[in-house]
Amino acid sequence: MTEPTTDTPIDPVALDLDACAREPIRIPGGIQPHGVLLVLAPESLEILQASTNAASQLGAGILAGASAADLLGPGLVGWVRSGEATLLRSLTLGGVEYQVVGHRTDQGTILEFEPTPPEAGETLDTLYPRLQLLADSVVGVENLHALAALAVEEVRAITGFNRVLCYSFDKDWHGTVIAESGDGVLPSYLGLRFPASDIPAQARELYRLNPLRLIPDAAYQPVPVAPAESPLDGRPLDMSFAGLRSVSPVHLEYMRNMGTLASMSISILVEDQLWGLISCHHATPRRVSPQARSACNFATKILALQIGSLERGAHAAARIRLKQRETELVARLSRAKSLQSGLAEHAGLWMDLAGADGAAILVDGAVRQVGNTPTDDQIRMIAEHLHENVPQDVFVTDELSRNLPAARTFGDVASGLVAASISQLHASYVMWFRPEVVRTVSWGGDPNKPATGTAERLHPRTSFDQWKEQVRLRAEPWSRAEVESVEDFRNALVNFVLLRAEERAQLTEELERSNKELEAFSYSVSHDLRAPFRHIVGYAELLRDRESALDDKSRHYLTSIVDSALAAGDLVDDLLSFSQLGRAHLAKTRVDMNKLVEEVRRSVAGEHVDRNVTWEVDRLPPGWGDAALLRQALTNLISNALKYSRGRDPAIITISGEARPGSTVYRVRDNGVGFDMAYVDKLFGVFQRLHRVEDFEGTGIGLALTKRVIDRHGGWIKAEGKLDHGATFTFGLPKHEEQADG
Amino acid sequence: MADLRPILLVEDNPRDLELTLAALAKCQLANDIVVARDGAEALDYLYARNGFAGRDPGNPAVVLLDLKLPKVDGLQVLETVKQDPMQKHIPVVMLTSSREERDVLRSYEVGVNAFVVKPVDFNAFFEAIQDLGMFWAVLNEPPPRGANGL
Repeated sequence: MTEPTTDTPIDPVALDLDACAREPIRIPGGIQPHGVLLVLAPESLEILQASTNAASQLGAGILAGASAADLLGPGLVGWVRSGEATLLRSLTLGGVEYQVVGHRTDQGTILEFEPTPPEAGETLDTLYPRLQLLADSVVGVENLHALAALAVEEVRAITGFNRVLCYSFDKDWHGTVIAESGDGVLPSYLGLRFPASDIPAQARELYRLNPLRLIPDAAYQPVPVAPAESPLDGRPLDMSFAGLRSVSPVHLEYMRNMGTLASMSISILVEDQLWGLISCHHATPRRVSPQARSACNFATKILALQIGSLERGAHAAARIRLKQRETELVARLSRAKSLQSGLAEHAGLWMDLAGADGAAILVDGAVRQVGNTPTDDQIRMIAEHLHENVPQDVFVTDELSRNLPAARTFGDVASGLVAASISQLHASYVMWFRPEVVRTVSWGGDPNKPATGTAERLHPRTSFDQWKEQVRLRAEPWSRAEVESVEDFRNALVNFVLLRAEERAQLTEELERSNKELEAFSYSVSHDLRAPFRHIVGYAELLRDRESALDDKSRHYLTSIVDSALAAGDLVDDLLSFSQLGRAHLAKTRVDMNKLVEEVRRSVAGEHVDRNVTWEVDRLPPGWGDAALLRQALTNLISNALKYSRGRDPAIITISGEARPGSTVYRVRDNGVGFDMAYVDKLFGVFQRLHRVEDFEGTGIGLALTKRVIDRHGGWIKAEGKLDHGATFTFGLPKHEEQADG
Repeated sequence: MADLRPILLVEDNPRDLELTLAALAKCQLANDIVVARDGAEALDYLYARNGFAGRDPGNPAVVLLDLKLPKVDGLQVLETVKQDPMQKHIPVVMLTSSREERDVLRSYEVGVNAFVVKPVDFNAFFEAIQDLGMFWAVLNEPPPRGANGL
């Protein structure tokens, strides 16, 4: 058994709405027979329209076209011509006391005359103390049902109806009877639910505008209004605010099916929204004087005000509590490593925020969850569904399977869902879950059969016998405070996320700026720092040329000056290369490493002219990289091999390579002085030297530069050595995807 | 060869100037050396105006142009020369301390005939200047295609 939803072949709500849309409830063309209706032109007092019982009840001359001046007398004429909106006054015509109710419309001033019922002893004066008492007694009642009970008791006391109910509507407009006062003549409906289709949307809107309706006799024959169209605008008379307005035959049938011949209902408006109804019924026809109606209206307003303040109070208390939780959570998040980890670390706070049993966050497809939640895949499925179908920032449901049928399978953990979107572009959400709460709802009659269609018209349901339904796949509904709390939290999160993004952007900006500064710095290093060294060398050379008679010592000093300045110049050049490497664009191509090694060997040939060097060079696989940079790297490695094997005879330098899956590997080995593996970490650092400069010259940048070249290629380099037993440098380069293996 | 045109040396740094002049002197070139100390002066000479208003007519055999110069920098001088139909055939050799790629690239884009990074080693510098002098001042032929420095 399910509630009437779109799952049923014909949506009963839609069906009734449709039927009722055809019912011209605001322009029925007639009135109920317990009174007389006149429409007057406010200035001339001419009768524009009149119910056809006017002449028989109020006097022979009371017809459309006649003047109402004499009928009304100076008092009423004064009101008609005044600016006052409404009127309630008694008027005696031909020995009969009438209650005259007036209101104004675009189609004229409408006056309704009702003979005062003989049994009605109450006047406003006698009713006033009762209302005063009610107003006093509701103060401080904080239980909604107790409050409603007070109101229905009062209304029954004023009107004498057999049964007075207080309905409250849920968000789907199903009504639940929360209070009842009755004399036992009519069955009790306390606790029963009535489907939304019983009061169609069009009627609900009218109830909001005009809070009170009375039907003294459901078996009445309507009295037409003549002429049918208003002389002012040619349209049927709009009776939205007329108490005598004739009601829909479907509604009368509904009343008769319910076993009630008289009814009155008063709207409970909380913050201008239809919150519920005070609904009165009588088994037999029953009239209620306008004074009594006014009093009931007033009693209902007292109830509505009190409900409003209770709800606001409860809402405010909940908001304050949740806001504190939110503030605490946001403060903790701001110190967290990431949003995800922050939320997970404060699972209790996170779930509390919406009073949930489980929560999850999904960012870039990665899920973190706490408490009772669906699986990661199910959470991703929910996110996809929301991302594609729900444009709102915050999605709320207490029946997820209604939006997402696949959610039935995990209704036990996630029948209720609040999801806050935290990304405009991606399916990123923070979600809160509530489990299914299986509950039994007692309907006043089977809501699945609210209407039966015949060829001509629809009939309301006939049975109001209690009908029990098990409601499944529903969670405890989310309160307004909880939803607002999620909305606030979402805003904070979005700000948080934005802030992080801004921080990142700022960081990037700073990095770019400092990169530019570095570039400018290396430019001036290159340009300005080299110049003095050049000058030193230049002048020293000029001096040497000039003074041919210099002694050996002076010549040695001059040579030292030149060598030092040259070394400093090299240092500047190497440093510059090193800093340029970080930002140099790599022009990667297939590089013939055999050719490259040949070129390097030729270029370093000058370094070992008087030495005995044995070269063992294998066939090398081609590499993928920037040829110029790889040449630089190889030059450094081969120069080092030569340099550190200086004392060997012969020096043996082995260059080998191999293709591996995904990379090519090259190796340069020498039989030189080697190094202590304890210092291997220092080998590739800038200015890190493992030997004294007088033993082996160099700037201490070569290997750092080499490592940087290899790093820039996405490769790796390692060194192995043993003191006095040579060193081996091995580096690997990633293969290009087009590069064939081998 | 009878009517040797001068070499225009544009250099702001007095030490570089002295060393360059010494190097050129070692080459024993017969060409006069005209020195301009910034880009504006260089342009004054090239266009025979201001301080050089009354100079002998004719373009220099070669311009040795430092890149970083006060007032009008070397690249701007180069641009001016290479965009002027009357001057664009004058060989311009850019001298610079910088190895900055962008300077080299930019110079070639503008149409430099040769680009020399002043080496720290004076002997290398001397050789470079000597080669330059011989090549541009004595032979004074149009630059071979693709000449990219020495």
